[in-house]
Amino acid sequence: MAADTANSPGSSMHGVSAKEQAFAFAVTSPTIPTDPTAKFKLPVDSEHKAKVFDILSLANPHMTTFHLSWLSFFTCFVSTFAAAPLVPIIRDNLNLKKADIGNAGIASVSGSIFSRLVMGAVCDLLGPRYGCAFLIMLTAPTVFCIPFVSSAGGYIAVRFMIGFSLATFVSCQYWMSTMFNGKIIGLVNGTAAGWGNMGGGVTQLLMPFIYEIIRRAGATPFTAWRIAFFVPGLLHVIMGILVLTLGQDLPDGNLSTLRKKGEVTKDSFSKVLWYAITNYRTWVFVLLYGMSLGVELTIDNVIAEYFFDRFNLKLHTAGTIAATFGMANIFARPFGGLMSDMAARPFGMRGRLWNLYILQTLGGIFCICLGRASSLPLSIFFMIILSITTQAACGAIFGIIPFISRRSLGVISGLTGAGGNFGSGLTQLLFFTSSRYSTATGISLMGIMIVCCTLPVTLVHFPQWGSMLLPARKDGEKSKEEYYYGSEWNEEEKQKGLHHGSLKFAENSRSERGKRVGAAHTPSSATPVHV
Amino acid sequence: MESRLFVALLLLCLAAESCYGGVLFSSLPRTLEITASPQQGQVLRAGEDRITVSWGFNQSVQASDESYKRVKVSLCYAPVSQVDRGWRKTVDNLSKDKTCQFTIVERAYDASVRNHIYEWMIEKDVPEATYFVRVYAYNSAGEEVAFGQTTDVKKKSDLFEIRGISGRHLSLEIASVCFSAFSVASLFGFFLIEKSKAKGFSKN
Repeated sequence: MAADTANSPGSSMHGVSAKEQAFAFAVTSPTIPTDPTAKFKLPVDSEHKAKVFDILSLANPHMTTFHLSWLSFFTCFVSTFAAAPLVPIIRDNLNLKKADIGNAGIASVSGSIFSRLVMGAVCDLLGPRYGCAFLIMLTAPTVFCIPFVSSAGGYIAVRFMIGFSLATFVSCQYWMSTMFNGKIIGLVNGTAAGWGNMGGGVTQLLMPFIYEIIRRAGATPFTAWRIAFFVPGLLHVIMGILVLTLGQDLPDGNLSTLRKKGEVTKDSFSKVLWYAITNYRTWVFVLLYGMSLGVELTIDNVIAEYFFDRFNLKLHTAGTIAATFGMANIFARPFGGLMSDMAARPFGMRGRLWNLYILQTLGGIFCICLGRASSLPLSIFFMIILSITTQAACGAIFGIIPFISRRSLGVISGLTGAGGNFGSGLTQLLFFTSSRYSTATGISLMGIMIVCCTLPVTLVHFPQWGSMLLPARKDGEKSKEEYYYGSEWNEEEKQKGLHHGSLKFAENSRSERGKRVGAAHTPSSATPVHV
Repeated sequence: MESRLFVALLLLCLAAESCYGGVLFSSLPRTLEITASPQQGQVLRAGEDRITVSWGFNQSVQASDESYKRVKVSLCYAPVSQVDRGWRKTVDNLSKDKTCQFTIVERAYDASVRNHIYEWMIEKDVPEATYFVRVYAYNSAGEEVAFGQTTDVKKKSDLFEIRGISGRHLSLEIASVCFSAFSVASLFGFFLIEKSKAKGFSKN
């Protein structure tokens, strides 16, 4: 699936000399210049972010970061949802009632509302590598708490604490944004997050398999499920060590070293937070992500039980169907990011916004259909389409997030991620806790909520790029990317030259104009290189 | 017209339901007598205590045990342990009923023996709950044809409790603490080593 330039067919000179390595996913438009002074395995732009996404490579630092990042996030998803397929055993061991199981499900996604917010700030201040390592290694003890659990309260508390680890999502997306150019960031972020989210599906097959092996080795069921949890726990420790030894924050090195060298300045948290929360687009995306990822997590928690009850399937059959929902992430989320990038080539940011609106609204419609379907094949069909559209919408959202702000990227990623989890807790509380209506009705009502809450996408407007219904400003200062990203710094900070990173980013983001890029005037922001 | 069609469909479904396997519990005659060793309200421990059951055909009932080919004695949940637990629900259609989930003994029915006795060690995967004991008789097609139980019709009398095992083990808990300590220690170890390296760098 070669992604060639948006220019007219045949005009690209890429590959003509036959000496250039051909990559499957590459930024080949001549408007993003390659930095010829950089000595990396992959071609990079002026910020030393990779311009190509070579999945099969382990090139340091860009692709190494990609693999470390998605694997850490995958591990956290495995441990957060590890209890779900084992609930039939756990509920007998701990004498749980339906309310306890429901509350544990809500607790498992609520913990990370808080941790995702904090993680955004941590990434901005300490760097994504330490953010990821700290979180994954400090939540390993919470997974190891499982052998101690002996009551409903303990179970809910431990699932709540394990759920904190889902904040690795923020470090994952942030880390990708520091390593990969904006033109391919949609695809890269979508792939990393999608493969991470896939952990929620893999765990539904993995944990029962491990449990079965341990049981056959001679353990009783009520002990075997506890032993099975050592596997996700050890994965946490292993991934943490790999991140610390093999990872680095930025293409040019680690944050602390670069800061000491004077190449990266430390920012003020209150300013970073202020510019995040006063940007209205942040809040629109918090809501949108709650209706895409939130819905995905809710379905992860309720769908196995739904198929088991409504169609009287066996537990492992229902588990297998539940697993396919989560595992569609392997291609669905990257697909959403890719579609975002492809829509951006001719239409720029407006294309990205329309792409998101269409995907998420379709997701809502198919959610309504899923709740209404009364035959098994039709239900599975609607569920699969729901999984693809919802997960693609998640990928599309994070194709846009890196452009909302340069200074407060971490906090905005954190807020959006938290919004996703909040959406999951809220939808579970509204539609799947009360016995006033059936699970099927709850699913349909959730679909209606998705369609309504996706409408605010129409309100997101960038002066330099436009919005879904309004075009960009043609001229004037506000029509320049530099103005938008520069407005996050006050005059005093600009005097000190703290905003140079944002200016560089503005230059690289000109691709979001779509086909109008050729007409853009390259500003004389050729200032000395300060990363 | 539409309501008649609906009623017809409903009746068809109900008829189909009973055709499609699933003997109804309410249709079974209570022709088997069964007693179990636990007293009313007694608390037993899973993995340690035993239950002795004895069952036989009730001679005083006007029925014949010719069709009984197999017999299964099960441990069943009392209503108090089914509250808020849909996975233990009592349903009249026996193919969907989840009341009796643990088999004590299953064997061929021997009409010549008046009173069968069996001693069962309560298995370690039996959860903590309140129980009674029930016996089903099956015909050669594998369908239930009769039953007997230790409690009354309302399932209120002669119930006993079983206390489940915790599943916790000291060795597991020690291993957890060790791995957790290793995780935290190696994290802070790395952090401090890198900080001192960076400090050394800035001094140059």
